[in-house]
Amino acid sequence: MSFDESFDVIVIGAGHAGCEAASAAARLGSSTALVTLNLDLVGQMSCNPAIGGIAKGHLVREIDALGGIMGRVIDRTGIQFRLLNRSRGPAVQSPRAQADRMLYRSEMRRVLEATANLALRQGKVVDLVIHNGEVVGIDLEDGRRFGAAAIVIATGTFLNGLIHTGRRTYSGGRTGEPAATELAESLKRLGFPIGRLKTGTPPRLDGRTIDWDRFEPQPGDVEPIPFSFATDRIEQRQIKCYVGYTTSGLHDVIRANLSESPLYSGKIKGIGPRYCPSIEDKVVKFSDKSRHQLFLEPEGHDTNEVYLNGFSTSLPAELQQDLIRMIPGLDEARIIRPGYAIEYDFVDPRELGPDLQTRRVRGLFHAGQINGTTGYEEAACQGLMAGINAGMFVQGRSPFRLLRKEAYTGVLIEDLITQGVDEPYRIFTSRAEYRLALRYDNADERLEKYGRDIGLVGDSDWDRFNARQDRLAELRQALETTRFRRSEAKHAALQAQLQTDLGDVISLAQLAKRPGVTPDFVCRLLPVSVQANLCAPDLETALADNLYEGYLRSQETAIERLYQHDSLRIPNQLGFRALSGLSNEIVERLERVRPSTFGEARRIPGMTPGSLSTLLVHLSAHQKSV
Amino acid sequence: MSTIVALSTPPGRGAIAVVRLSGPDALSITKQLAVDLDNVKARRATLSKINLPGTQETLDEVLITFFKAPDSATGEDVIEISCHGSPVIVREILDLTVSMGARLAAPGEFTLRALTNRKINLVQAEAIRDLIAAQTEAAVKQAARQIGGELSHTITSLEEELIGVIVLLESAVEFVEDDLPAAELGSVKATLTSVQKGIGDLADSYSSGRLLQSGIKVAIIGSPNVGKSSLFNRLVSRDRAIVTDVPGTTRDTLSETIDLEGVPVFLTDTAGLRDTTDTIESLGIERTQRAIVDADLVLEVIDASDAVGEQVSRDRDASSIRVLNKCDLAVANRFVSEKDSVRISALTGEGIESLRTAILAFLHRGDVDNEGLLVTNARHYDLLKTASYELGNAISALNDELSEELILVSLHNALKFLGQITGETTTEDILSQVFATFCIGK
Repeated sequence: MSFDESFDVIVIGAGHAGCEAASAAARLGSSTALVTLNLDLVGQMSCNPAIGGIAKGHLVREIDALGGIMGRVIDRTGIQFRLLNRSRGPAVQSPRAQADRMLYRSEMRRVLEATANLALRQGKVVDLVIHNGEVVGIDLEDGRRFGAAAIVIATGTFLNGLIHTGRRTYSGGRTGEPAATELAESLKRLGFPIGRLKTGTPPRLDGRTIDWDRFEPQPGDVEPIPFSFATDRIEQRQIKCYVGYTTSGLHDVIRANLSESPLYSGKIKGIGPRYCPSIEDKVVKFSDKSRHQLFLEPEGHDTNEVYLNGFSTSLPAELQQDLIRMIPGLDEARIIRPGYAIEYDFVDPRELGPDLQTRRVRGLFHAGQINGTTGYEEAACQGLMAGINAGMFVQGRSPFRLLRKEAYTGVLIEDLITQGVDEPYRIFTSRAEYRLALRYDNADERLEKYGRDIGLVGDSDWDRFNARQDRLAELRQALETTRFRRSEAKHAALQAQLQTDLGDVISLAQLAKRPGVTPDFVCRLLPVSVQANLCAPDLETALADNLYEGYLRSQETAIERLYQHDSLRIPNQLGFRALSGLSNEIVERLERVRPSTFGEARRIPGMTPGSLSTLLVHLSAHQKSV
Repeated sequence: MSTIVALSTPPGRGAIAVVRLSGPDALSITKQLAVDLDNVKARRATLSKINLPGTQETLDEVLITFFKAPDSATGEDVIEISCHGSPVIVREILDLTVSMGARLAAPGEFTLRALTNRKINLVQAEAIRDLIAAQTEAAVKQAARQIGGELSHTITSLEEELIGVIVLLESAVEFVEDDLPAAELGSVKATLTSVQKGIGDLADSYSSGRLLQSGIKVAIIGSPNVGKSSLFNRLVSRDRAIVTDVPGTTRDTLSETIDLEGVPVFLTDTAGLRDTTDTIESLGIERTQRAIVDADLVLEVIDASDAVGEQVSRDRDASSIRVLNKCDLAVANRFVSEKDSVRISALTGEGIESLRTAILAFLHRGDVDNEGLLVTNARHYDLLKTASYELGNAISALNDELSEELILVSLHNALKFLGQITGETTTEDILSQVFATFCIGK
């Protein structure tokens, strides 16, 4: 077979999954091509110009610790940073940032262009070239044929995308861009089970037509906390966002015009995310609410475009304009781009192994919305894992996976490949059983060593990581060994200050767990030598470990008691059909998912206690014979 | 690996019963439990005694056999305790091992360990697979089948209240940017407290439920020389206790198991309660106090012929029966019009049948008050207790104004334990309820 160009790895699509995948594969040393419809829109944020948020911010930190690029790019282009859940414990705090949409895009392009082994190619992929059940290349619309041993598909909403605005529908991958219809056909021909999902986006307004004074300003943090462990400080000038509300009069108009909505007229068949409802959905499903919150988010320093967050809609464009004007403060506002809904194809993620490679076609990897997820961060972490594994695959190295107890990335991928999706999948902290251990602040401690082993963490990052590890070790030691005894004056002073009995002897670690003891308070009690080296994130990490230690243990005990068999491995070659006592339906479920542990099998929806006990008996028998 | 314990012989009464422990701590737990086990040898039966906790009083004489890993049925250290086949004794031994760190075995768990350690082969294990399946499914449905679903209905409605709180707190954590109503801590606390009470009540009903299976503990108490030992002898139908007319003759507690219409009753005679300077007698009185605490039912004996003497009288409660003894003599004026007590003469046997009836009525009372709420499965009891403990942790975390994610650890634990009885609540279930309850999403 002859190819116009040959690579080790080709990544299709240059969104948030594709950029991470291409960057990772190239930096692993594989010659890599990133193929996209429009090279000027690399790293485009199709929807909300923001990165992070609860659990999503955790993902970005994990990407960063593994050596990915999203954290660094948003740190250089973010125009408002906020650490969410500041009033709560460290495990549920998470960074979020507004991006300058254009800056983000150009910075992402710059980073990719500066990557060795990475070629950018513009073109529309119309087919996969398959040979003996293995993918060997791609065909482009312009007639070029590229070869590669591994291909990552990261096509987002472009896969057979269909855009809805009112009664009008047209094919498109994003407003103004064509859909990837031929590639969708190609996947269908290969036999992949394909479903349909839906998402939506709100209108963008002209900032000059907004009466800003009638909205409540929402400033960012005074001291922005970066996403990347490598970022010392945020350089971008920071802006404010604004909060406003819909009115019940506006709700009435929406209700009167539901027949115009493709969601309610039955035109849209795909399933949308419940946690990202359109304004039509909000008004219908929560009819008792007299107002819904809206956010005005400026899209960048050099544009007048403003993103009307909370007003996702697929109503007709002219109706959108009328509705907008019913919002107090938007009486004169003009829409620059109307909102729309988009339906797109996804491939059942239960087709994938833990390395995100399809079982059906060797060398083919899927990442991002094609797997049924939603969100830039969810896409990016899959892109990174798929890119790493595509690189590993062509180099003959063992696949890389993360466990549920190690990373949100592990939770997300395991959920996808074992449960499949019924609606666009978004990460939540409650999806992680080990929420207290998977914190944004300790992503480096959890994952940086993997990034280093894989080859994505460079020397300067590795040195910085090790320096922090040393400081943390010293700090943890100091918390344990700094003790206050009843015989000492300090003990009495502390008791007076905290107005409580501290017992005969108390360590600083124990003291730190008491209600009302702040990090500052702890800091002042540390030995002077430790204080001299101290930086705030280190103290937060050490104190968080200290705070959660007992809870993690009690949780561990409960999990050990209830799910003690979860870690039993299911051998690859185990034939479920050969196990007597399993119904056909259960065998099919198990074969589709191919769980690698008993825990994964247990979490497959529809498994019965009987089938699980059959499996358990067989696995127990197998355990020591391998 | 935890150490598990279970009764290996069929439940109910028999000549002997075998309690089996398996796991790394099997031997050390048994050494705490039984006396003189320093020289225990593997594969040898050793005669020993198990004492009631904190006393020198023998609960039972037992034969202990130690199987050292890997030469045992499960491949782990295994201890078999052969005791007398009384449900009361078995229950006491199980309770003691659990208090020393063993855990009640889940269905099929011994066999699974045997399988894992290659002690049996797959074909042998296949035979027990159905048993495990049946029992696991039964654990979910048992209540429905046995008692018309009232138990599972009660637990499910408690569970729903608990999930409601979890939904509220999870939403507060996950959707900080959404316009959600703030969780009202007072009402969260009230809900959790009522759920904990509901679960505690269910666990308590287990105590009554267990009575019918394992028998009950009955203590005979009263002032000296009111005839407690005579009553004891009358109930056990032989002269087991020494009876004299010298007050304070009984200096130690004395126990016997009797059969009351098929229900085993563990009857304890106690030293009379009075102020005393006699050291031995006061030790006996201390023991009486413990017997009262341990008893499911107290028979409070009064000398009906005593016109003036001070009689020990406890607060009347549901777990005691007031017994007027010596009714063959002239009944003193102060007791003549007394109702709600059983009149007997331990000497002549008069009224003993009425007393037996009164004890049986107590046994069945649970059925009347809590019809259908009797939890009969020891595993359920254990799970309810553990869930209640977790809820207690959550409530104190709430009182300490700790952050939601910490309170949620205990709440999720509690929900998981309840889920072992009624079926699991998945993250997806909770998220669905979040999205149904709140308008989430920008």
